[in-house]
Amino acid sequence: MAPTIKAGESYGFFTDTSICIGCKACEVACKEWNQLEGNAPAFLDSFDNTGQLDAQNWRHVKMLDQVPDQSITSGNGTAWLLMSDVCKHCKHASCMEVCPTGAIIRTEFDTVFIQQDVCNGCRNCIAACPYSVIGMNQQTGTAHKCTMCYDRLQAGKQPACAQACPTQSIQFGPLADLQKAADVRLEALHTQGVTQAQLYGRDDTVYGGLNAFFLLMDKPETYGLPNAENAVLPSRNNIGGYLGALVTGVVAVVAGLVAFRRRGAA
Amino acid sequence: MILLAEHFVRAPQWTWYILFYFFFAGVAGGSYVLATILRVAGDPGDEPAARLGYYIALPALVLCPILLTADLGVSWSRFWHMLIDTTPGETGLNFKYWSPMSVGVWALLIFGFFVAVSALDTWARDRQGRAQGLLGAGLGRIFSIVGSIVGLFILSYTGVLLSVSNQPVWSDTWALGGLFLASGLSGAAALITLLVRYRPEASFSLERLRLADGYFAILELVLLVAFFATVAVAGSAGRILPWLPLWVLVLVGIGASMLGVRRPARLQASGESAAVVPVAMEATVVSILVLLAVLAIRAAVIFSAQ
Amino acid sequence: MTNHWRDIKNADLILINGANPAEAHPVGFQWFMRAKLDPKRGPGSGGGAKIIHTDPRFTRTSAVADMYLRIRTGTDVAYFGGLINHVLQNNLFHDEYVRHYTNASFIVKEGYAFNDGLFSGYDPAKRSYDIATWSYETDPTTGYAKRDMTLQDPRSVFQLMKTHYSRYTPDVVSSITGIPTADFGKVAELVGQMGAPDKVMTIVYAVGLTQHTTGGQLIRSGSLLQLLLGNIGRPGGGMNAERGHANIQGNTDHAISWDILPGYLKIPAPGQKNRDDYVAQSASKKQDPNSWNFFGLNYKKFLTSTLKGWFGNAATKANEFAFDFVPKPASNASWMTIFDQALKGKMQGVILSGMTAASIGPDSNQVRQALANLKWLVVMDALPTTSSEFWRAPGVDASTVQTEVFMLPTTHWIEKDGSFVNSGRWSQWKDQVMPPDGQSRHDHWILSDLFHRVKALYQSQGGKFPDPIMNLTFDYKDPLKPELDELAKEINGKDLTTGKQMTSFALLKDDGTTTVGDWIYTGSYPDSGNLMKRRGGVQDPAANDPTGMGFYANWAWSWPLNRRVLYNRASADLAGKPWDPARPGITWNGAKWVGDVPDYPPTMDPADPKAWLPFIMNGEGVGRLFSNGMADGPLPEHYEPVESPVQNPLHATNSTSPVAFYYDQAAGRPNRFGTPQEFPYIATSYRLTEHEHYVTQHVPHLVQLQPKPFVEIPEELASAKGIKSGDQVRVSSKRGKVEVAAIVTKRLGPLTVAGQKVYQIGIPIHWGYVGIPADNDPSHGRYWLANALTPFVGDASARTPEFKAFLVNLEKL
Ligand SMILES: Nc1nc2c(c(=O)[nH]1)N[C@H]1C(S)=C(S)[C@@H](COP(=O)(O)OP(=O)(O)OC[C@H]3O[C@@H](n4cnc5c(=O)[nH]c(N)nc54)[C@H](O)[C@@H]3O)O[C@H]1N2
Ligand SMILES: Nc1nc2c(c(=O)[nH]1)N[C@H]1C(S)=C(S)[C@@H](COP(=O)(O)OP(=O)(O)OC[C@H]3O[C@@H](n4cnc5c(=O)[nH]c(N)nc54)[C@H](O)[C@@H]3O)O[C@H]1N2
Ligand code: SF4
Ligand code: SF4
Ligand code: SF4
Ligand code: SF4
Ligand code: SF4
Ligand SMILES: [Mo]
Repeated sequence: MAPTIKAGESYGFFTDTSICIGCKACEVACKEWNQLEGNAPAFLDSFDNTGQLDAQNWRHVKMLDQVPDQSITSGNGTAWLLMSDVCKHCKHASCMEVCPTGAIIRTEFDTVFIQQDVCNGCRNCIAACPYSVIGMNQQTGTAHKCTMCYDRLQAGKQPACAQACPTQSIQFGPLADLQKAADVRLEALHTQGVTQAQLYGRDDTVYGGLNAFFLLMDKPETYGLPNAENAVLPSRNNIGGYLGALVTGVVAVVAGLVAFRRRGAA
Repeated sequence: MILLAEHFVRAPQWTWYILFYFFFAGVAGGSYVLATILRVAGDPGDEPAARLGYYIALPALVLCPILLTADLGVSWSRFWHMLIDTTPGETGLNFKYWSPMSVGVWALLIFGFFVAVSALDTWARDRQGRAQGLLGAGLGRIFSIVGSIVGLFILSYTGVLLSVSNQPVWSDTWALGGLFLASGLSGAAALITLLVRYRPEASFSLERLRLADGYFAILELVLLVAFFATVAVAGSAGRILPWLPLWVLVLVGIGASMLGVRRPARLQASGESAAVVPVAMEATVVSILVLLAVLAIRAAVIFSAQ
Repeated sequence: MTNHWRDIKNADLILINGANPAEAHPVGFQWFMRAKLDPKRGPGSGGGAKIIHTDPRFTRTSAVADMYLRIRTGTDVAYFGGLINHVLQNNLFHDEYVRHYTNASFIVKEGYAFNDGLFSGYDPAKRSYDIATWSYETDPTTGYAKRDMTLQDPRSVFQLMKTHYSRYTPDVVSSITGIPTADFGKVAELVGQMGAPDKVMTIVYAVGLTQHTTGGQLIRSGSLLQLLLGNIGRPGGGMNAERGHANIQGNTDHAISWDILPGYLKIPAPGQKNRDDYVAQSASKKQDPNSWNFFGLNYKKFLTSTLKGWFGNAATKANEFAFDFVPKPASNASWMTIFDQALKGKMQGVILSGMTAASIGPDSNQVRQALANLKWLVVMDALPTTSSEFWRAPGVDASTVQTEVFMLPTTHWIEKDGSFVNSGRWSQWKDQVMPPDGQSRHDHWILSDLFHRVKALYQSQGGKFPDPIMNLTFDYKDPLKPELDELAKEINGKDLTTGKQMTSFALLKDDGTTTVGDWIYTGSYPDSGNLMKRRGGVQDPAANDPTGMGFYANWAWSWPLNRRVLYNRASADLAGKPWDPARPGITWNGAKWVGDVPDYPPTMDPADPKAWLPFIMNGEGVGRLFSNGMADGPLPEHYEPVESPVQNPLHATNSTSPVAFYYDQAAGRPNRFGTPQEFPYIATSYRLTEHEHYVTQHVPHLVQLQPKPFVEIPEELASAKGIKSGDQVRVSSKRGKVEVAAIVTKRLGPLTVAGQKVYQIGIPIHWGYVGIPADNDPSHGRYWLANALTPFVGDASARTPEFKAFLVNLEKL
C-alpha cells in the first residue's frame, strides 16, 4: 500500500534486485505515465533491447547474464542479474552541481528534478552525471530524466514504476523506512548465505547517499555503478584546475614580459 | 588528487560549435593579453603590434557567445537563462562559483566589455592619433591590465570546465586549464605575427612575438607532459591514443614555435622592408602550423572523452 | 488451480514445473516472492519458502528461484516418478492421509497389468485401450470396491503403485531427464520433508506440462505426489495450473472444449436416448459406503436444469427436457481435428473469434493450407491477425486462395464489461475501460445478430432440424444486444416456481422447476446482486480475511460456492483438526465447519461413523492415485516425445505414447515426423514476458522491448557452428522452418540423456507476418511463425498438441 506523501519529507526508492524478475513493467509504466514514446525498436542481441537510460527511458532494466553452464544453479538473483536502473536522486547530485541555469532543483520531496521551462540544453549535467542517467530530448532540446513522478507525488500518488512492480522489487516510501527495510532484507540474505548481497547508496559513502538506493547481488562495477572511491563530484577538480591555470598564467605573463621587455631598440 | 576513476558517464555531445568556441576564446583572450603586455612592457615600437592584438580580440570574442548559443538545445530564446535563474519563486541572478560554466558566462560578458572598450580606444588612437587613447594613459593601462586578467581567465576556464565533470580524460587531470592558456597565448602570438603583413610598422615586434611564442610553447610542452601523466595514472590513456594524428599536429606546432627560441638571430634584419619578405614567408608557415595546433589540441581533448 | 494465487504465500516449498510464472504470470508471481520473503515459511526451520524451478531453460523465474534444475523437455513424468519412488521407498508419505483420503487401500481387479510400457487392454489396431481391467475388485454383495486398510494386499493401489514406480530410481530418472543424480537427490531431500503434517508444498505448472503427447499424465504424476504427501486440499498446497488468457478459466468452465457441456458435464454420446442413458454413461458411481458421490448423485439435476435453461417451455418431462436437442458428436472435434478436417476439405467455413489459428499451430503451414481449403472464413477480432491476413501473407499468391475472408471488427476485452475468471477460479467482474472503437461490435452482439438471422432462415425455409434453433430461450431486454449482466444472471440459474435466483447448485432439481446456465456458477448472482463485483480486499484485512489465510471471501466470487480451496475437507484430519494448526483450511468446531467455505456438508460431524469421506465429488470419496479416467493409463508412465533423439530407457519397444493421436496417419497421409539423423536437436517453444502471444505485435512500447524474433541457442552448440548472438540462423523441422536472429546463451545448456549428449534450442512463439516488426522488416516476417516447426500430434486424452518437444536442425545463414 502506498504511503501518505507529505511535502518536506525525504522520499526515495529501495530497489531490491534479488527479487527483480526483469518483467520491465516499470519501464512501460514509466513511459505510459510520462508519455514517453520510447526509441525506435532496435534488437540488441539479448533480452535487453532498451540498452540504457536516456531521454526516452527513465527506467531501464539491466540484465546481466552470468548464468553458469551447469545443470543445477541457485538463482537467488545472483546468476542472471536483473536490476531496474533509474536516476539515483543523489544527495550530492553531480548534475545539479554543474547546472548553470539552476534548472535542476531539489523538490519538496527531496528528489532531484529538472525544470523543463528553465533548462536551456547546455548538457553540462550530462557531462557530470556519473550514472549516465540524463539524455537530451530532441523535440524539446532540453535534458530529461526520471522526475520521481513529481506530478504524482504532488497528487499523493506513489511513482508509476513502483506501483507497477509486481514483486515489490521497487519499493517507494520515506527514505528512513526504506533504509530500515533494506537492512532487514540484507540481514536475511546474509543469514541465508547469500554473502555477495550488498546495499548500494543506502549510507553516505556514495554521493552523500542515494534517495534511490539498491540491494545488489554483485560488485557495483558489475552493474556499471561507480564504487565508493570512484563516486566523486565534478567540483573536486575546481581547485586543481584553477590552480594549474593560475600558475601557468603567472609563468606565461612573466615569459611574455621577458620576451617583450623594453630593449630600447630603434 | 589522483584517482583511478572508472567512468560510466554519457558524453555531452559537445562538438564543433564548442571546439571553435574554445579556439576563438583562446585567440581573443590571448591576443588581448599579449597586446597589453606589448603596450605595458614593450618598446614604443611595439605599440602597432599591441593595437593589432586589441583589434583581433574583438571579432574573435564576438564569435564566442554566438557559437555557444548555437550549441544549446534551446538556443536563442534561453541563452540568458545562464545569467538569470527563472525558477518560479527563486528568480534572480545565476552565479555558481563552483560551476566553471556559470562563472565562464559571466567572465565572457565582462571580458566582452573590456575588449569592446579597448578596441574602441585603439580605433580612437589610430584615427584621431590620440596617443593616450580615450581613457588617458594611467587609467588606460589599469583598464587593459584588469581586462587582461579577465582575458587570462577566458583563456583557461574552458579547460577547467571540461575537468569539472565526470568525463574520462577531462576529469582525470588538473592540467587542462593551463594547457589551454599556454596554447591560447602561443596561438595569439602566431595570429598577430600572421596579420603583421597588414600593418607593416608592427613588424618591429615580429622577433619578440616569435620569442614569446617559443616560451609559451615550452610551457605548453611541460603541461602536455603533466596532462599525459595524470590521464595515464587515472587509466584513461586508452581514450587518447585514437586521436594520435591530432597530437602529432600539436607537437609539430609546438616544435615550430620553439624554433623561435633557438634561432632569434635570423630575424635581426627586421625593420627594412626588404628583409621582411623572407621572414614573413617562414613566419607565415610557422604561424599557420601553430594555429592549427591550437585547434588540434582542443579537438583532441574534446573528442577523446566522447 | 485447486488453490489460488494468493494462497501460494502459504507454501513452504514451491515446485515449478512446466511453467515460467515470472514471465508468463508476473503479477501472480508476487505471491511466490511473498512466500520466499516470509521467515515463517520454508523447509526445516523455515527462513523463507524455497522455490525449485525445473525447466529446460534458465528463465527469469529461475533467476529468483532457490534452485534451478535443467531438465529435458517432456520428461517430468520421470522427474515426479523419481520423487514418488523416493517418498514411497523411504516411507515419507503422509500415512494417515494416504490411508484414509486416497484410494491407496482400494483393491484393483485381477487382470490389470503393466508390461514393457503397455497397460492391460491395449489394441494396437485402434491405438487405444479397453479400460475394463483398470477398475476395482468389487464386493458382490454391496457392489462397493474392496479395500485393505493395511495397504499390504499386493493388488492394493498402494502396492501396485510401489511396484510401478520402483523402476524410477535416481539413475533411471537421471538418464531420462538429464538431471544428475546428485542434483536430483537435493530436490528429493527437500520434497521428502513435505509429507510432515506441519509442512506443505505446492506444485505450480502450466503449458510446459500440458503441451506434450503425455500432457495429461505429466499433470497427474504431480497430483499423485501431492496426494502421497497429503498436500491436496490444504492451504499452501495443491496442484495448481496457471491458466492462460486472463479469462481462459472462464472459457473452460463454460465449455469451450467440444467434449463437455457447461460445468464439465460430459457431452452426450450417440445412442443415448434419454437423460438416464446419459447419466448412466457419464456420472461416477458410488464406490464406498461412506462416499457421498455428490457429483454423480446430482448429475441428472445439473443436466436437466441446464436443458430447462436453454429450451424453456420446449423442455418438458414428456420430451426428456429436450435432451435430443443437444448434439451427440460421433467423433472427436478438438482443435486439431477441426483443422485436420478443413485440410481434407471437409469443412465449409470457420468462425475464428479471439484466436488466430494461423499462428497458434501446430504445423502452421498445414493449418494455413487448411484455411485456404475453406469456402469462407470469418475472423472476429479487433485487429488484423495472421488468420485474417493469411491469404495475402508473404509468399502466398492471393489469386490462388479460394477462401472468402470476412473480418468482423469486435470490441477488445478492454472495451466491454463482463467477468474474468482467474486461475484460482475467482470470477471477477470488470468495467468497460474504453468506449468501443469505430464500428466494432461486442462479440455477444454479433453472435446474437447472427443467431437471429439463422433463426429467420429456418423460419422462412424450414430445414432438417429447426427445433433447437427455434426453441432456444433468448429473453433479454434487447435480444439483439444482450447485456453481459443479463447473461451472468441467467448463468446463475433460477427457481421457476418462486422466480428467485438460485443460491446453490445443491438446490437444483431434475423436474424442470429450476434452470441454470452453468451449475458451478450457481450462487454467483443471487437476488442480492452480482457477487462477482465485490471488492472486500486488503483495505480491511481484519474484516475480509479473518483467518489470515488469504481467502478474502468478500472479494469477487469463486466457484464452487465461493470456495477458495478445493477439497478443503482434506485439510483437516479425521477428527476435523487442521493438519497444521498454523495453516487451517477448515476446522470442525464441534458444531460446524469454520474457515474457508467447506467442501463438505457444513454441519456434518466428522466423528459420526456415517460421515462422508473427504473427496465428496467422486465415486470413491477419496483422492484417486489409480484412475480409469485417462485414455493412456491408470498410472502415469514416461513416454518419449513423438520426436525424440533417444529411445525410451524404460521400454525401447514402446518408446512413445502408444495412444497418442497421429492425424496424418489417420488421414492416410505420411506422418510428418523427423528423425534424429536429419534433425539432431531438441526444440521447445515458449513465451516471453514482453509479449502476449501475437496480439502485442501491434503495441509499440512492447515491440520496443522485444522488437525481433529470435531463437536461443546453447553456447557450446553455437560456438561449434560459429554462431554469434545477432547472427541470422535457420531452424528447420520436418514440417517447416524459421529464419530469425540467434541469441547465444548458457541459460540453455547441454544435457546427458541415455548416455548421450543432447542440446535444446529455445523458440519464442510471438512473431508472425502481422504487426509492427513485420511491417518494419524486408521479409515481412515470412519465416517467423514458430509453429511452422511444431508437430501435428496430440495427447491421447486432451488432444493438446506437442508444442513443447520436437526435433529441429540448425544452420547459420
Ligand atoms: N507474457 C505473457 N504471459 C502469458 C502469455 C503470453 O503470451 N505472454 N500467455 C498466457 C497463456 S495463454 C498461457 S497458456 C500461459 C502459459 O504459461 P507458461 O506455461 O508458463 O508459458 P510457456 O513459456 O509456454 O512455458 C513455460 C515453460 O515451460 C518450459 N518447458 C517446456 N517444456 C517443458 C517440460 O517438458 N518440462 C518442464 N519442466 N518445463 C518445460 C519452457 O521452457 C517454459 O519456460 O501464459 C499466459 N501468460
Ligand atoms: N508453439 C506453440 N504454440 C502455441 C503455444 C505454445 O506454447 N507454443 N501456446 C498455445 C496457447 S496456450 C494459446 S492460449 C494460444 C494463444 O493463441 P491466441 O489466443 O490466438 O493468441 P492471442 O494473440 O492472445 O489472440 C487473441 C486474439 O484475440 C483478440 N481479442 C482480444 N480481446 C478480444 C475480444 O474481446 N473479442 C475478440 N473477438 N477478440 C479479442 C486479440 O486481438 C488477438 O488477436 O497459442 C497456442 N500456441
Ligand atoms: S543520478 Fe545523475 S541525474 Fe540523477 S541525481 Fe544523481 S547525478 Fe543527477
Ligand atoms: S542541460 Fe539543462 S539541466 Fe542540464 S545543465 Fe544544462 S541547463 Fe542544466
Ligand atoms: S519515478 Fe516516475 S519518472 Fe521516475 S522512473 Fe519511476 S515512473 Fe519513471
Ligand atoms: S517491474 Fe519490478 S520486477 Fe519487473 S523489472 Fe521492474 S523492478 Fe523488476
Ligand atoms: S498481463 Fe494482465 S493478466 Fe497477465 S499478468 Fe499481467 S496483469 Fe495479470
Ligand atoms: Mo494458453
